[in-house]
Amino acid sequence: MSVAEAVRRRLRIGIEAVERVATGWYTSFLAGLVCWPMLVAVVLPRAAPFALGRLRAVADVERRRLGLRSGMPPQTSLRAVTGDPATGREVRWLLLHATVGFFIGMFGLTIAVDIVRDGLFPLYWRFVPAADATPAIGWPLIRTQNGAWLVGLMGVGYLFATLYLVPLMVRLQELPGRRLLRPGPGEDMAMRIAELTATRAAALDAHAVELRRIERALHDGTQNRLVAVSVLLGAARRAVQRDPSTADDILARAQDASELALAELRAVVRSILPPVLTDRSLSDAIASLAATCPVPVTVDADLPGRCAASVEATAYFVAAEALTNVAKHSGASRASVVVTRQADTLRLTVTDDGRGGADADGGTGLTGIRRRAEAHDGTVTMTSPVGGPTTVEVILPCGL
Amino acid sequence: MRIVIAEDDALLREGLALLLRAEGLDVVATTDNPVTFLAAVDKHTPDVAIVDVRMPPTHTDEGIQAAVEARRRQPGIAVLVLSAYVEQAFATELFTQGSGKLGYMLKERVGRIEEFLDVLHRVVGGGTAIDPEVVAQLLTRTRPDSRLERLSPRERDVLALMAEGLGNAAIAEKLFVTDGAVHKHIRSIFSKLELSPDDQTDRRVAAVLHYLRDEAKR
Repeated sequence: MSVAEAVRRRLRIGIEAVERVATGWYTSFLAGLVCWPMLVAVVLPRAAPFALGRLRAVADVERRRLGLRSGMPPQTSLRAVTGDPATGREVRWLLLHATVGFFIGMFGLTIAVDIVRDGLFPLYWRFVPAADATPAIGWPLIRTQNGAWLVGLMGVGYLFATLYLVPLMVRLQELPGRRLLRPGPGEDMAMRIAELTATRAAALDAHAVELRRIERALHDGTQNRLVAVSVLLGAARRAVQRDPSTADDILARAQDASELALAELRAVVRSILPPVLTDRSLSDAIASLAATCPVPVTVDADLPGRCAASVEATAYFVAAEALTNVAKHSGASRASVVVTRQADTLRLTVTDDGRGGADADGGTGLTGIRRRAEAHDGTVTMTSPVGGPTTVEVILPCGL
Repeated sequence: MRIVIAEDDALLREGLALLLRAEGLDVVATTDNPVTFLAAVDKHTPDVAIVDVRMPPTHTDEGIQAAVEARRRQPGIAVLVLSAYVEQAFATELFTQGSGKLGYMLKERVGRIEEFLDVLHRVVGGGTAIDPEVVAQLLTRTRPDSRLERLSPRERDVLALMAEGLGNAAIAEKLFVTDGAVHKHIRSIFSKLELSPDDQTDRRVAAVLHYLRDEAKR
């Protein structure tokens, strides 16, 4: 790392620390305000619902500031709030943050402000009334320009304090929040259950959508072909009675229709679970996918053993969906699919050298990928800067 | 007979047109969506429209809506709705505005050309055609303690054919009995179900359908 880079980095840390200490000071101020209704509630139980509501609100502000998961569903009844172990921890945080947090915030901000106050002292000290011409600490009285330069040096000292000391103060100020406002193990489990319930619903939803798609494909595709075959055969029989020479043409059409029905049936079956996936392996299935993609695709999929069928099917359809997107939208000249397995996760990465700028939330293809992956507790990350390259990475837990 | 076809599946649409033209019927327009279908109905004022239930854009019940709309615009037009599967709700929606000149059939029946042509003629002639599957659904959905229990097996057969829209002569032919016997059965059915007897086929179908629907709902 070059010196310039190190300086820039340290400056960034300092600026961020000042920001944090300032916002921390703000929440400590809010915490101080909430202390009053809490105090009233101790004497006057009727005021408790209001006080506890404020407590949770200010705790949630702090949680958001610290980037903690809220984890606490909004409580409606007083009994539920007071019975909640989280409430006790919130009260402890409130007292700490309103006092210690407040002073740290004030101290940290003063240091930052004094960079300017003392740093510029040599420039303005003559305009200050003689009795007030002191550095920020209020002592000693400055009478000479040289003395003023020394105060300016103190400003530089504050700058170093801001860069190196204030970040530590931020940590200290945020410690009670990080310790006490983090969801406890039980609440974390509650969150996890809520999340599982949601993904399970998504899984069932994806399942229903899938069934609907299959039903459509069979009714509107295959069945229509077979009806056409039946109609044409009926017409051929009538033709045989009337003028046998015209029957052959109709029968040829009937045969075409039946072949179409077979082709469509094959496509439907393949879309449910590709035979190559069940008969061979995920690597082979993805290789055959890549072979049918109009964009040249390199495949690196060396997998030891097999995963659960549903996970492999998900990976396969995600790859299919992603390659369809590559072919349709990216304008790429080449793409690659990499599948690796590490312990109990399957990682699938599809990259193309196309124009990028894909919208992670738009586009049904990506939504489909996300939904399929989330149904299996997986995650999807996409990066697609304008100008490319676009990368879609899907991580699926696959058990052992 | 001038015919307009609305079917979004190209192969089936052309197959139907080929079949009907080979039978000497006049297919004046083939369309693949409700909008062009209604435009063709306005333009050609056909005798009968053959409509697929599932059409773009959503592939759900566009055909039913289009059929109802076509009949609203041109009350004289006969409509035969074709469906990949029978859904009693579709039939109910279709037959709420009376059952004359109206048919609802499974697509697969089209292959039986004679029966299909028979249905087509019946509908154009002012009658009703309801797929036996729909009738079977209605009959099986009725509860065991209903008045239908009072019917003899033969009377149930007659009731089913009546609900499909067949006239007395056709019922007699299907069941290998005389016209008089059918007449007697029908009178007996109507009195057992406490319906007022009616000899006009489509009104009779409406009464029977209405009765069966109520039974199924109960």
